[in-house]
Amino acid sequence: MATQNDAISLPAFARLLPSFTGLPLGPLLTLSLRSLARRRPGLFERLGEHSSARYLIDPTDLPFAFAVVPDGTASVVRVTGKSADTPSDVTIRGPLLMLLGVLDGTLDGDALFFHRTVSVSGRTEAVVALRNAIEDAELRPSDLLGLRGLLGRFADAGILGGLSAVREFAASAPAREEGRT
Amino acid sequence: MSGRMELVCPAGTPATLRAAVQAGADAVYCGFRDETNARNFPGLNFSPQEMAEGIRFAHDHGAKVLVAINTFAHAGAVDPWRKAADIAAGAGADAIIAADIAVLDHMASAHPGTRLHLSVQAAAATPEAIGFYAKTFGVRRVVLPRVLSVQEIAALNRAIDVETEAFVFGGLCVMTEGRCHLSSYASGRSPNLNGVCSPPEMVSYDEDAGGTAARLAGFTIDRYKPGQPTGYPTLCKGRFKAGDKAGHLFEDPVSLNAGSMIVALRSAGVTALKIEGRQRGKGYVTEVVRAFKRAVEAAERGFDPTAIDSILASLSEGGRQTTGAYRKTWR
Repeated sequence: MATQNDAISLPAFARLLPSFTGLPLGPLLTLSLRSLARRRPGLFERLGEHSSARYLIDPTDLPFAFAVVPDGTASVVRVTGKSADTPSDVTIRGPLLMLLGVLDGTLDGDALFFHRTVSVSGRTEAVVALRNAIEDAELRPSDLLGLRGLLGRFADAGILGGLSAVREFAASAPAREEGRT
Repeated sequence: MSGRMELVCPAGTPATLRAAVQAGADAVYCGFRDETNARNFPGLNFSPQEMAEGIRFAHDHGAKVLVAINTFAHAGAVDPWRKAADIAAGAGADAIIAADIAVLDHMASAHPGTRLHLSVQAAAATPEAIGFYAKTFGVRRVVLPRVLSVQEIAALNRAIDVETEAFVFGGLCVMTEGRCHLSSYASGRSPNLNGVCSPPEMVSYDEDAGGTAARLAGFTIDRYKPGQPTGYPTLCKGRFKAGDKAGHLFEDPVSLNAGSMIVALRSAGVTALKIEGRQRGKGYVTEVVRAFKRAVEAAERGFDPTAIDSILASLSEGGRQTTGAYRKTWR
């Protein structure tokens, strides 16, 4: 059985997805982050000087990565390739479902790092600041989508429930493989 | 002692404060986002507004907030410490936890109505030292250094007339608190003056063919094989080579769990039990506070230490734990 610190990855076909660098995923995430900064400025203030740091978030089971500068209402998210040449102050690598689990508070980022499920390189102080800001943020999917009220609650229930189901499915994949052999 | 023992829990962020209160903390300790408290890590701690909101939330739920202003003020620059004390007292803090005589003096003269707790950073472990702080500044509680056995705490409590608070869970500093210079030596910054031990801007994890080296200010504190769980490079828990042997020269990387000592600490006259970990997350704090709440209630109902230990068994996380100095044995 997978423990909370075991890496749970997307199915292998996810790595075959086309690169999204040419699609508007980056601008959409930029708008979402800037909207969040307008609604909850305190979240970004917690980052202090590290809000201008360049964070490269690299889901190891996707064919692309995200370059994020979480600078409040001037935040920028770009979808980039996996090239090591992408300039960054911090690189955070790990399976997408684990990274999303840290973001929504389902998983303990410290435990994932110390057990090597998620790897971090670059400026440690910027990572610590981001970790503490996320820890305090108690982010829900509706916060990122800018949804409120009943619609927000539906989005939270649907997305968090969906993520949980995908995690369970992915975690049980090794057991299914073993059953076949 | 009479009355139920108080459970004092850590909060590094407002969200963790709320989680600790909702999990059953009697009191939460926290600090401002600057050098005035001994957990001055990036992104951690409270702004003045967050502190006021946190205190309101805690009071609305029947809990107290103890504000740690427990580093030592810089020579000639005491104002930030005085200002922090003024803001905390003005926000309705139930107590200020301080170690510096300048901060204690300011509190005693400017805010005599606010309780003063002596921080573990003051390393006061004798009736004479504690008596001085009680008589001079009106200190009402002392957070005990983690170097005393239960028998020594009992003897101390018989000789003083202020409350005592004892650490029962979390990271363990075996050095006499407030006097550790390891971090200063390596990095130029210290928990005592800057509020940060092993400052993260000087921490690096360097990968090579042999695995990962965890470094502080260029000093290798430990090495890990590929895939082996890592740790934060704290000097006192580092693994060093002396002669031809490598080992933990200062301190084994174990954490404190004195759950089995709760009954003994109660008998020794301890008023409050403290959980370490202001840098830990909401999930961790919630789990530890809930377990210790049940353990304290079990102790109050007369359960034996073994039964209490079983309540706390889930908190080991597979890591190594110790009862520290509370139970001193010959080796």
